[in-house]
Amino acid sequence: MNASEHIVGVTVERYRPDWRQGRVASWITTVDHKRIGILYAVTSLVFFAAGGLLALLMRAQLATPNEHFITRNSYNELFTIHGTVMIFLFIVPFWAGLANFLVPLMIGARDMAFPRLNALSYWCFLFGGVTLFLSFFAAGGASKSGWYAYPPLSEKFFSPGNGQDLWILSLHLVAISSLLGAINFICTIHNMRAPGMSWMRIPLFVWAIEIYSFLLVLVMPVIGVGLTLLLLDRQVGTHFFLPDQGGNALLYQHLFWFFGHPEVYIIILPAMGVISEVIPVFSRKPIFGYKAIAFSTVAIGFYSMLVWAHHMFSVGLPTFLNVFFMLSSMVIAVPTGVKIFNWLATTWRGNLIFDTAMLWALGFVALFTIGGLSGIFLAAFPVDWQVTDTYYVVAHMHYVLFSGAVFGAFAGLFYWWPKVFGRMLDEGLGKIQFWLVFIGFNLTFFPQHLLGLLGMPRRNYTYDQHGLWLVYNLVSSIGAGIMAIGLVLFLYNVIKTTRSGRRATNDPWLADTLEWYTMSPPPPHNFDRVPYVTSARPLRDLRRRLAEAEHG
Amino acid sequence: MPPPVRRKTFVLLLVLGTALALTAVAYAGNGGFAPEPPHSPNARRISDSYTWISIFTLAIFVVVEGSLLWFIFKYRRRGRPRTAEGPQIHGATRLELIWTLIPVLILAAIASYVFYKLPGIEDVPAAKAEGGPLKVRVDAHQFYWQFTYPNGTVSIDELHVPVNRTVRVDIFSQDVDHSWWVPELGGKFDAIPGQHTHTWFKADRSGTYRGRCGEFCGVFHAKMAARVIAEPKDSYEAWVTHIAHDSLGRSEWAGVCAKCHGFQGQGGYGIAIENSSLLVQPQSLRQLLVNGRNTTKPISNYMPPVGRGWTDDQFRALEQYLKAVVYKGTQSGG
Repeated sequence: MNASEHIVGVTVERYRPDWRQGRVASWITTVDHKRIGILYAVTSLVFFAAGGLLALLMRAQLATPNEHFITRNSYNELFTIHGTVMIFLFIVPFWAGLANFLVPLMIGARDMAFPRLNALSYWCFLFGGVTLFLSFFAAGGASKSGWYAYPPLSEKFFSPGNGQDLWILSLHLVAISSLLGAINFICTIHNMRAPGMSWMRIPLFVWAIEIYSFLLVLVMPVIGVGLTLLLLDRQVGTHFFLPDQGGNALLYQHLFWFFGHPEVYIIILPAMGVISEVIPVFSRKPIFGYKAIAFSTVAIGFYSMLVWAHHMFSVGLPTFLNVFFMLSSMVIAVPTGVKIFNWLATTWRGNLIFDTAMLWALGFVALFTIGGLSGIFLAAFPVDWQVTDTYYVVAHMHYVLFSGAVFGAFAGLFYWWPKVFGRMLDEGLGKIQFWLVFIGFNLTFFPQHLLGLLGMPRRNYTYDQHGLWLVYNLVSSIGAGIMAIGLVLFLYNVIKTTRSGRRATNDPWLADTLEWYTMSPPPPHNFDRVPYVTSARPLRDLRRRLAEAEHG
Repeated sequence: MPPPVRRKTFVLLLVLGTALALTAVAYAGNGGFAPEPPHSPNARRISDSYTWISIFTLAIFVVVEGSLLWFIFKYRRRGRPRTAEGPQIHGATRLELIWTLIPVLILAAIASYVFYKLPGIEDVPAAKAEGGPLKVRVDAHQFYWQFTYPNGTVSIDELHVPVNRTVRVDIFSQDVDHSWWVPELGGKFDAIPGQHTHTWFKADRSGTYRGRCGEFCGVFHAKMAARVIAEPKDSYEAWVTHIAHDSLGRSEWAGVCAKCHGFQGQGGYGIAIENSSLLVQPQSLRQLLVNGRNTTKPISNYMPPVGRGWTDDQFRALEQYLKAVVYKGTQSGG
């Protein structure tokens, strides 16, 4: 307890390291946006691996007809938790992590607007996720009513046990986390931009995060309401969604999809933001039509709030409502198309460098296009009546969400890894990984379109048809295995390069944006000095000024 | 040098791949590249809409993926230094307007065609020549389909209709959400408790059409299948006047009870009930069938309220069948 010593009459505090400086404690108590970003991203990738494992179990069960690899109830738990994990615990928080790390650096700020709130939002997310996985041990097992948990199936009578309640609790925690994070991003982007960085000069990834955050603020409360009413039905004996007691089962579907469809864009817009950063840098050109991409991001965000009932075409809405939601869903294809064409135009006459990040970005463009096109079939509601709730929809949404979010995520990981950790990932391994995932992905999900058209409903634990059903299912399962190998390769890449990877310079890719101005990895305070921003590509301006100075 | 050789290999692979894919498709009929062959006017119009949309989406697909591949090939680095920049083009307003407008026109073309086909898909034909559509009520239950014909006859999991006759289907649910779907006879319509939806079909050839539940409804969702049997008029008449009625007990047992409890009542997913005296106690049995059972401990004791909305006839038919065929316990219980 002797905290001080007397040396020659002067009281000197003996140096005692703060307990918060410890190797583990420093991560637990951190309020640094970069460390929180890393925590977020790593946690979400762990959940991604877990969710992927659940999917592999499902593909094993479906590889051949009348399989008994897992039980019916386990299968129903698997697809429920797989969907919930991938959407709520992997993709959305992964973007929160990447944005946490990047947004302050990209706009030249020292940290997020509310660092402690930022930490709170991470911990809510972590415990939400842990709650969901622990629900496997609840009485009656985890939730088995699908990731959108329609009542009455998710009501107490039809889903006894506590799995469903824990599912609701977990989603509440994650929703609070997303909401806090979103408010933080909005405040940061609006108030803390570097001098000279006007709205038309912020990086397109920041534009994406701005709209991502606004959508979260607008729709997260709605799912909160839906889930709370469901919890009250289950636990208190209200009957909001119980028709035989005066409730309305359809109300939940409206509440859920009012959140659920913007959620798709919450997932995809940041991926598009990543692509809009990566493609120009590896094409050695500016992005084609910056304003068009920024405004189409806003337009997609706006229209995404008006299309929710296209998930409900078969519930018997009045025809004029079906027509409205069909047209609004088609309209959203226009700004999406604008983005695709602008990315293509960016590569036109460029000096295309096929580093791994670029491969993922081009893979995104190639595959997301397919997801967009199959979406047009689903938007035409009479056709939707035929293919909804079949494997066609499963294929469509994985082309949108996997080739969108996951390809975008890996483009981002390979692109920003050197900035985050100061070492390059192995390009050779990265390319092998890309091709394994690209081929595996198409083998897994393309045949699912065909299965859907052959009449295979989603969420079936087994099927008894042979012939093409067997062929397509088997190919799909084999593809899933190939994809899994690719994803494990990423883990190997990380382990391999942690100690021995090539050291990264400040700006290894000759990029355009401010985060490459500081060191790799950045110091705790981010920047010693922030340059005055005069265009959307401050770093390229700087390089040119330096070059001019050198040559006189 | 290497490029021409590589290009040749690339073209060769592309041609081979396409040929293989095409043979596979030709060999396998439509192979899942279009909806199942329609056998009802509404299903045919949906198929037509599908084909129409395919034309445009395939064209867009070829244009987008083609230019992507072409740019990747044409503008690859090919030994240029990493620092070499392409032309610094920031945009071209007219070009961007063009590729905003073209999709709008394409979408308008798609929507117009779908709206043109819509009445023929959605509206139940008046079918005056046939004396109006035949009206059948469908009740979806966990985990079976119940059909009620105009004369009050009930059948389970098996719907008989006259071939070439317009049939209007009114869809209800007695417990959770389900969806009525016979791919060859049209699209899905959800069965949601408290709501009422309807659709129609007119089967154009005799035979059996397989129907499936299209909305996840619980543990036996995958086994909730229906058969629609389109047959000549007199076979249909025989079905609704006596065959369905005579086989009601057996079909209730097979469709409602046996999926969980086994065909002999020997148990399966559900408990073994062959010796249960409840089978021969009509009052208690009715109560169980109407209310179902929901217990938390043990959870496997859950039983859906399978008998909700049943008529006296239905209960009696099941009771008789249970007593005569299924029950293996001592007769003293009854």
